[in-house]
Amino acid sequence: MIICSDISKSYSHGGRRKQVLNAVNLAIDRGDRVGLLGRNGAGKSTLIKLIGGVELPTSGKIIRTMSVSWPLGFAGGFQGSLTGLDNARFIARIYQREYADIRRFVEDFTELGKQLNMPVKTYSSGMRARLAFALSLAIEFDCYLIDEIILVGDQNFQRKCHAEMFDKRKDRSIILASHSPEFVKDMCNKAILIDKGEAVIYEDVGQALDIYSNL
Amino acid sequence: MAKGSLHRLRNGWAVQVRVIHALMIRELITRFGRENIGFLWIMAEPLLFAGLVGLVWHFTHGPTEHGVGVIAFVATGYIPITLFRHGVSRSVSVFTVNQSLLYHRQIKIVDFILSRFIIEFLGGMMAYLFMAVVLIGFDEFPIPANIGLLIAGWLLYASFCFSLCLIIAPLSEVSDAMEKFIPVTTYIMIPFSGLFYMVSWVTPQAREFLLFSPFVNGMEMMRKGIWGDQVTAYYSVWNPIICSAVATVIGLILCRRIRRRLTVE
Repeated sequence: MIICSDISKSYSHGGRRKQVLNAVNLAIDRGDRVGLLGRNGAGKSTLIKLIGGVELPTSGKIIRTMSVSWPLGFAGGFQGSLTGLDNARFIARIYQREYADIRRFVEDFTELGKQLNMPVKTYSSGMRARLAFALSLAIEFDCYLIDEIILVGDQNFQRKCHAEMFDKRKDRSIILASHSPEFVKDMCNKAILIDKGEAVIYEDVGQALDIYSNL
Repeated sequence: MAKGSLHRLRNGWAVQVRVIHALMIRELITRFGRENIGFLWIMAEPLLFAGLVGLVWHFTHGPTEHGVGVIAFVATGYIPITLFRHGVSRSVSVFTVNQSLLYHRQIKIVDFILSRFIIEFLGGMMAYLFMAVVLIGFDEFPIPANIGLLIAGWLLYASFCFSLCLIIAPLSEVSDAMEKFIPVTTYIMIPFSGLFYMVSWVTPQAREFLLFSPFVNGMEMMRKGIWGDQVTAYYSVWNPIICSAVATVIGLILCRRIRRRLTVE
């Protein structure tokens, strides 16, 4: 379970303040597949970063009783000057996993071959997405935080993601920031709509999509 | 309940040890690579610094000063100051540079400072040892009279350096101006670091003043540990201990406050 109680987040820069989230209360259960809807700049990424613990809320509290992945997107989580395999080794160390197992999975899932011995900064965004996905799948989290744009890989990658994430790991929770109504409709059983700093969770995905399309 | 929190503490400790270990390896690979002598480079700079300045002094000031070998004296002064200067410069903007790693919740910002500092610390120690062995071979360095005191001095000196890093790292995130002042400050620090003198060589008034500096106290301990009865040392063990404790507390509070405001791309 993930509970966000009364979380607010504001950024200040040069004396100006921007309130992104305002007193958000949410509870996400084990096995929930939550679509995160909102216009550009509404605060989807911010909410994902807060849930992932990358940034901390200005006020309020987040309680996690299950393991939560780092936010899977194009940015973050890697050291660009290290090779893919060095990054894998680093992640195996900090998450206390066997490097050999992780490596096997990563080689198999990413199909990057020799590229894994090149620095991550030389990767295309699609290759980064593969690596990030492979690593987080290899570690086996209870809840995955995903930015949808990362799923826009080639056919082969989409198929693999689907098989690993949505078929094999049906019991896991997912929080997925998305702009695609079809995707949310197909994949999610709940939806969070963020607008004007407020985040509301809907049990009925259809209803949330209706409101979203009228924003 | 008490058992539960003890268990949690032990667990958290194990996680942090693992994280720092991983961060250190990562840092060593990114900084030195795997080619030629690899991570042994960490002791190259302190060694070169100490060795070359020692030689210059040897020719300008003569082979001894106040009865101690000048090369050894300069070298024992330079290695600790390199630890300080490197530690500080490595702490500047350390959170921004490493921000992509904050995606992993078990990595705390203090781990960044600590892992970098440990590398500098080990590099300094290796340089110290290497230099001493070589200079002893040339008969330019005495066999330390009191190894315990030498190590204690080094540890106190290092712990004060580290506590300063804990303050500088968060401050450098708050204001860019900070960054501009650091090179000057570390330069001005040199006279107060005990680098070029023993406190017993200066006037009693100056002595009293210099002994406010934790660096000087640590340095005096190290030199007393090396030369023993050949030198007179003035120091208080408590000055560096208290100063580091105070600075550590301030630093940790600042780190905690900054973490809340850190924006990660």
